[in-house]
Amino acid sequence: MKMNKQILKDMYLRMRRIREFEVKAQNLFAEGKIPGFVHLYIGEEAVATGVSVCLRDDDFITSTHRGHGHIVAKGGDLRFMMAELFGKESGYCKGKGGSMHIADRTKGILGANGIVGAGQNIAVGAGLSCSYRQTDQVCVCFFGDASTNQGTFHESMNLASIWKLPIVFVCENNYYGISMSQARHQAIKDIADRGASYGIPGIAVDGNDVTAVYEAANEAIARARKGLGPTLLECKTYRHRGHFEGDAGLYKPTEEQKEWLAKDPLPRFSSFLLENGFSEKDVADLDKTVADEIAEAIRFADESAYPAVEKTVEDVYSDIIEEVRSR
Amino acid sequence: MTSIGIIANPASGKDIRRLVSYATVIDNNEKVNIVTRIILAAQGMGIDTILCMPDTFLIAERVIDSLSREKVLTASIEVLAMPINGSAADSTLAAEMMRAAGVGCVVSLGGAGTSRAVAKTIGNTPLLPVSTGTNNVYPSMLEGTSVGIAAAVVARIPDPLSCCVHDKRIEVSINDGEKTDIALIDAVVVDAVCVGAKAIWDCSEIRRLVVSRCHPACIGFSSIAGCIEPVGVEDDHGYTITLSTRGRRVQAPIAAGVIAELYVTEHRRLALAEGLRFRAEDAGMIALDGEREIRFKAGDILTFTVTRNGPFRVDMDCTMVRAVQNGHFQ
Repeated sequence: MKMNKQILKDMYLRMRRIREFEVKAQNLFAEGKIPGFVHLYIGEEAVATGVSVCLRDDDFITSTHRGHGHIVAKGGDLRFMMAELFGKESGYCKGKGGSMHIADRTKGILGANGIVGAGQNIAVGAGLSCSYRQTDQVCVCFFGDASTNQGTFHESMNLASIWKLPIVFVCENNYYGISMSQARHQAIKDIADRGASYGIPGIAVDGNDVTAVYEAANEAIARARKGLGPTLLECKTYRHRGHFEGDAGLYKPTEEQKEWLAKDPLPRFSSFLLENGFSEKDVADLDKTVADEIAEAIRFADESAYPAVEKTVEDVYSDIIEEVRSR
Repeated sequence: MTSIGIIANPASGKDIRRLVSYATVIDNNEKVNIVTRIILAAQGMGIDTILCMPDTFLIAERVIDSLSREKVLTASIEVLAMPINGSAADSTLAAEMMRAAGVGCVVSLGGAGTSRAVAKTIGNTPLLPVSTGTNNVYPSMLEGTSVGIAAAVVARIPDPLSCCVHDKRIEVSINDGEKTDIALIDAVVVDAVCVGAKAIWDCSEIRRLVVSRCHPACIGFSSIAGCIEPVGVEDDHGYTITLSTRGRRVQAPIAAGVIAELYVTEHRRLALAEGLRFRAEDAGMIALDGEREIRFKAGDILTFTVTRNGPFRVDMDCTMVRAVQNGHFQ
């Protein structure tokens, strides 16, 4: 599969944006600037990037509690994201949702989600909508390895298969469900094997190689767009940080961590670029572009106001509920 | 001690060819079943020690657990003490250790890529390759029970190589030894820049093809040559073709369920030890037995040589007949 220089550059920018956003979020959380919880995507950047670069703005994604990477890769606004993490009024959810509820309808981002496996049902709804409206839109559903033990996973795969919905189920297998290793929570090693149970293709790729993810996602998305139904794409990857910031990750063996750090997708891809027509300066310029974007996002968030106390419940309940209450 | 080795690749059969073609799906639990049948048949035919490659799915450990619970395990199963890398290097190392341990036969479960990894270090130890992979040119789809019987017979007879076919292989070199590797069936020069999802499926990217053997019934890229002139296992030559957007039209089954239309500009036999040597005009990749493996730069010198240095592959039919003649079933 041919990848031109523009696609390679686009992929590098997206990966670097995710990494820089997350490293800054890590530091800002440690400094007390970010309240609540953050689950960082550091180490898994190649997955969100390799998939999202194949999508259009009007395609949908559903995300997880570890959603920053998906949203950045799909084109979410870094300023509104950072402001949301800061709890500021200018954030995506006016500062009331925080890290795990960021959504952007204009980019087809149907939301991060604090409930493990909950995005899978939403993806089926989005896929059914595309199918019902007879568009060629696609929905990509990101989820982790442990969520494939949830009923939602099996229900979603079943319905998507029966109705041949345009969904690509992207499992980010980072080998841990919170602190429990995959070997302890599943009797299988390759989650891709579960595709056969629902009569859909299940394939596994190196999730730390953005070119491998891109090639597989491109085929799966094209297949979905043509009305040929869903695919289960398993991307083997690893989170560098704990489950959330504050989790020291002591359950991860040191040797295992070393092995995966050596397979870090960022330096791996920058080396690839240098071997394929990019100069050191080209890469440094891209890094500078991203650093400026992230600095601007932090400045924007820092200078934004907190929501006023009287707006505490505004947008929290729907109008229908308010109507019912008023009766 | 009469022993055999088993190398089961837990990663085979899950690549992108399930998406871009209609390739076979074999999950790891089925590999456990196949290994179980091999072990039961082998111990039933007189094998007392079985060495197994360790892997991330714990195939051997699952079989040991299951057969021990049923109290039907009589052979000693030893899982090799080696680090697990999670790559083809595991199969290469395991084959080397099994050869050093003097096993009478090595059974490999996987695709052509697994057989290729094993072939690098197996030496003269008989190899019985079982397909649990994709296009199944080198390994064959075989029932585990028959495999266990054949492996046991080969391990017990005094002249095991008489039941084997000495295969060819393709030796690949970049810049006269700067990088070297082997393929058992086909080496394909492709217009690609990355390993990516490993397999190749876009025929427009294929520039050259070198095969050790080929036949229209062998699904994969070697079939392109096979549809022009079949080359058998015993033939002392390979074949090479060059593809372009025009030339002789060939229809070939390049993947499971995929008949592709290709255009061949040059094609000819390649004698054993005759090196096909040329300078690469552009950067690209060499796919070995179906998977992109080696990157080369524009200007690099590429050399492909078909030799008779491949593994000694167990001939199932011949072995079973010998087993009857030798009274192994008495």
